[in-house]
Amino acid sequence: MIYLDNGATSFPKPPEVIKAINDALAAPASPGRSGHAAALNASRTIHRARKSVARLFGLPDNSRLAFTSNVTWSLNLALNGLGLKTGDHVLSSALEHNSTARPLARFQKEIQIDWEVVPPGPAGLMLAEDFQVRLRPETRLVVLNHASNVTGALAPAKAIKEAIGTIPLLLDTAQTAGSLPMDDYGQWADLIAFTGHKGLLGPTGTGGLWIREGLDFRPLAVGGSGSRSESLVHPDFLPDALEPGTANTHGLAGLAAGVEFLLNVGLDKVREHEMGLTQYFLENIVNIPGLSIIGPGPGVASRVATVSVVLEGWSSSDLAASLEKGYGIMIRSGLHCAPLTHQFVGTFPGGASRFSIGYFNTLEDVQTAARALAELAAHTGHRG
Amino acid sequence: MTEEAEIILIFSSNTKILNAEDLLEEMSLPITLVPVPKEVNPNCGLAISFAESQKEKIMTVLLAADLKPSVAYRRQGQDFSVWAFEPSIN
Repeated sequence: MIYLDNGATSFPKPPEVIKAINDALAAPASPGRSGHAAALNASRTIHRARKSVARLFGLPDNSRLAFTSNVTWSLNLALNGLGLKTGDHVLSSALEHNSTARPLARFQKEIQIDWEVVPPGPAGLMLAEDFQVRLRPETRLVVLNHASNVTGALAPAKAIKEAIGTIPLLLDTAQTAGSLPMDDYGQWADLIAFTGHKGLLGPTGTGGLWIREGLDFRPLAVGGSGSRSESLVHPDFLPDALEPGTANTHGLAGLAAGVEFLLNVGLDKVREHEMGLTQYFLENIVNIPGLSIIGPGPGVASRVATVSVVLEGWSSSDLAASLEKGYGIMIRSGLHCAPLTHQFVGTFPGGASRFSIGYFNTLEDVQTAARALAELAAHTGHRG
Repeated sequence: MTEEAEIILIFSSNTKILNAEDLLEEMSLPITLVPVPKEVNPNCGLAISFAESQKEKIMTVLLAADLKPSVAYRRQGQDFSVWAFEPSIN
């Protein structure tokens, strides 16, 4: 089996992650709810995850980091919590996933926010100046998918933040956290949403949102927090305000281990490995007859390790099925929950076939994938 | 012989307590995490407890790291009193 679907969920997980989850499952766990030793250990497990994520993003204050069940929840917490109102102007990139596009579309329909989509520039890359020229007095928020889960295009997040000044930037790091060094992001970012099960090598059901000091927000859900129990008013301080209910201690034990694994390897090393394989793959598929690479081609540094292709004569799903049947290669076909992106790159509604490379992939994996594509392309003529 | 009094610090969130625990452990300053004493505070979270003799060292470290308790108590046996941990500004 060759797993090239790390953009959906990373595989395999480091043995440390599996052990951490097993250890947590074997212990009583009710973090922040009692004072006995087991509850304290559960609280410390979650705190370890908070500290490791804070180190990964260089966050100045780990108490402003709230854990969620995935990045979609994190983004919804942010978008619903910022108090958008009728007439507010919100900019987003054209490369948004439905995790931001659907909440924005709903706000547009229900409360008439003015959502403006910023198209990508040459080579499908987002440009800071394209955000800057669209700013208005009523612009309340800029939403940015840090890297497209379809094309792999990496947005210049810091340059965009500099271009928009004091307007808050909501950064969706679903496709970047754990794949590139981000240890200065806490110095300039406003809201960082992340998920645990992709590049951070943790389990599904983990994610989080960091909010810089000074940004007002309203919790999406309230309830038991283990703090201020005497009051019927939910706490207004982070992280408790955004973490109602018992936390996913088992999952966060795994997330902590995944992030610690990455920090020990070094994010620059992870980036180098993933980009080395990606560039090799791109160079070895770019000349395949009938094959189009959707997004940045070989030699473009502003990308992550996700490569989508369209092969003439093949539907994206048939290509994925043939890769699995003939070569044991697992990829993802279709629209990748990102119809906006596919519309902008011209692959809507048929979609594309996406290869997403992870830290544990090898050169042999991508060599096999490139060879498989070449062979299937050569057989295109025999199809129907 | 009278048992040494203890100081109990209550913070606004468990995250602050756990950050304080990490910091004080790094400095080898002896503390214990305990449930908030119900005698004085209805909060169902955790508190930091330490011997009164450690109070100056511990408070210096915590306040320097901007980890300020929301309230502090001095406990002698079953007697609790609110403890003003900051020097007065007179």
